[in-house]
Amino acid sequence: MLSNGISSSRLNLLGLCLLCMALCAGSASGADIVVPPISSPNFQRIPIAIPDFKYMTPAETQFSHQMGETLANDLDYSGVFRPLDPKGFLEDPQTMGLNTPEIKFPDWKRLGADFMVRGSYQVQGSSVKMEGRLFDVGGQRMVKGKVYDGDIQNWRSMVHDFADEILLALTGERGVFDTKIAYVQKVGTAKEIFYCDFDGSNPVQVTRDNNLALSPAWSSDMSQLAYVSYRDGAAKIYSLNVRSGAQSVICGYTGLNMSPAWRPGRNELAVTMTKDGNPDIFLVSASGQILQKLVQGYSINVSPDWSPKGDKLAYVSNESGNPQIYILDVSSGQKKRLTFAGNYNTSPAWSPKGDWIAYSGIAGGEHNIFIIRPDGGENRQLTSGEGRNESPAWSPDGRMLAFSSTRQGGPSIWVMLINGTGVRRLTRQGGEQELPDWSPRMNH
Amino acid sequence: MRGKFSCLVAVFLVLGLMIAVSACSKKTVPAQPGFGGTESSPYSGVGSGAGLDDAKWRELGINSEAEKREFLEKVKTFENQDIYYDYDAYTLSDPAKKVLDEKIAFLKQYPRVKVTVEGHCDERGTTEYNLALGERRANSAQQYILNSGLQTQKLTTVSYGKERPISTGHDEASFAKNRRAHFVVIY
Repeated sequence: MLSNGISSSRLNLLGLCLLCMALCAGSASGADIVVPPISSPNFQRIPIAIPDFKYMTPAETQFSHQMGETLANDLDYSGVFRPLDPKGFLEDPQTMGLNTPEIKFPDWKRLGADFMVRGSYQVQGSSVKMEGRLFDVGGQRMVKGKVYDGDIQNWRSMVHDFADEILLALTGERGVFDTKIAYVQKVGTAKEIFYCDFDGSNPVQVTRDNNLALSPAWSSDMSQLAYVSYRDGAAKIYSLNVRSGAQSVICGYTGLNMSPAWRPGRNELAVTMTKDGNPDIFLVSASGQILQKLVQGYSINVSPDWSPKGDKLAYVSNESGNPQIYILDVSSGQKKRLTFAGNYNTSPAWSPKGDWIAYSGIAGGEHNIFIIRPDGGENRQLTSGEGRNESPAWSPDGRMLAFSSTRQGGPSIWVMLINGTGVRRLTRQGGEQELPDWSPRMNH
Repeated sequence: MRGKFSCLVAVFLVLGLMIAVSACSKKTVPAQPGFGGTESSPYSGVGSGAGLDDAKWRELGINSEAEKREFLEKVKTFENQDIYYDYDAYTLSDPAKKVLDEKIAFLKQYPRVKVTVEGHCDERGTTEYNLALGERRANSAQQYILNSGLQTQKLTTVSYGKERPISTGHDEASFAKNRRAHFVVIY
């Protein structure tokens, strides 16, 4: 299923960027459009108008609305944009022009739009040619255009890619519309590993052991999904090859084998194992060979998570008497305690840019999601008063966090922007979902 | 080729002999209902002994129906009595030690049984931290039993962290029931 997705997006990316060339002359890069980061207090969502796409031939006309709606959903999800309600649009999207001189910029400006997307498509047999154009309403110019050519079944990934292009053009950073989120799903009394698309759609079951499976972790090239399973009667770390579906044991040492975390850019993992009698953190190869003991002692040492460069490790230790987050500098071996507020801080997750560490801490009697700078500054609480919130996982663009929450009953996976707004529920299927891990981008 | 064939023949011969013997023993020893595990047992399930033959029971030191009943009763008690821990702790309380002393007495009476010690936690706290904590709880119980002089190979530990709660409530009463070590007899 996933391999289909990969090949189809490759196909899409072969789509001709004809219009990009036309743009170069107009110096219409995103560089002169300043969008503050979401974590900034000055951040405001950018109003954008997305009329239905124009069908160039009277075939498959339902895509007209579906494409526009999908693009609006993506841009809303990103947290950067506020798509305007199409009910207020003045022109019929099927007669409206596609070229800069035909766009009625003053009308769009009056509606409150800073940007406008004009899309069109043409169906020929089983293939579709889709074109997206992003216009700067104030500047009265086209910012970005892209043409896609591919199987009609892949229209959705074409729209997702154009949403990524819009984010790239206006913020300098692609979106996450080609990513997956792995999680643990309770099935009866068992727990199994699943993954779904960034927006919760297309859930795929990975394990079928009818046992306990926990802690899914994507490798940095998205080819492997490591996880813990009790299928052999004890907690061992396994790896799924996402393309082939092949599964193999990584760590099956005596005692607990848990908390897998792939080292960015390398075929190595940090794991917790109790083979020597204490929950220590080890560096192991992808086949489970022990390369180095990273953290040891008499305390519980679990939940390692790498810095983006792979030179530091955030982890949980109870060496102070209760669980707190520490940072290990791998080359020097120096450890530093990061969290001091509260007496139960766990599940560190290092942001993709390295500028934040998200974690789960008990505040107000419940687990809540926090972010803190790696130097211990700017500790911010993002959730409060809404059930138990745990296991934060960063989106690869660093704009969002997935986490598990009991705010609507049993645990399910939720997503929020890192300023704590834009909270939305991701998984809606029955049972319970927890321990999310967000994949890297498929198209780097 | 020839070697393989004769091997197969031997296997079939042995199998045939076993069937003949068991059929024969059924005919000649009809007056032992239940001892041998054919009768439905109230302790059905994994490790209930339903599949054990007389020889296996004797290995456990059980030679009569009465002894078997006594044993199964004690197994039931053994497995039904958990020991409990304080929040985020794995030290043994005095009541826990008392329960463990009873378990040691059972293990001394039946030195051939094996035991799995399961460590469990309440739902508060994270999955991974609780897996480690659950193992410490199982280890503390295991260590106490081993300190009484019992052999190491009888005891194995497994931690389920907070993943297999016995009580699904979200209050302190439920939490207290879930912070436990559970004991499973394997024989």
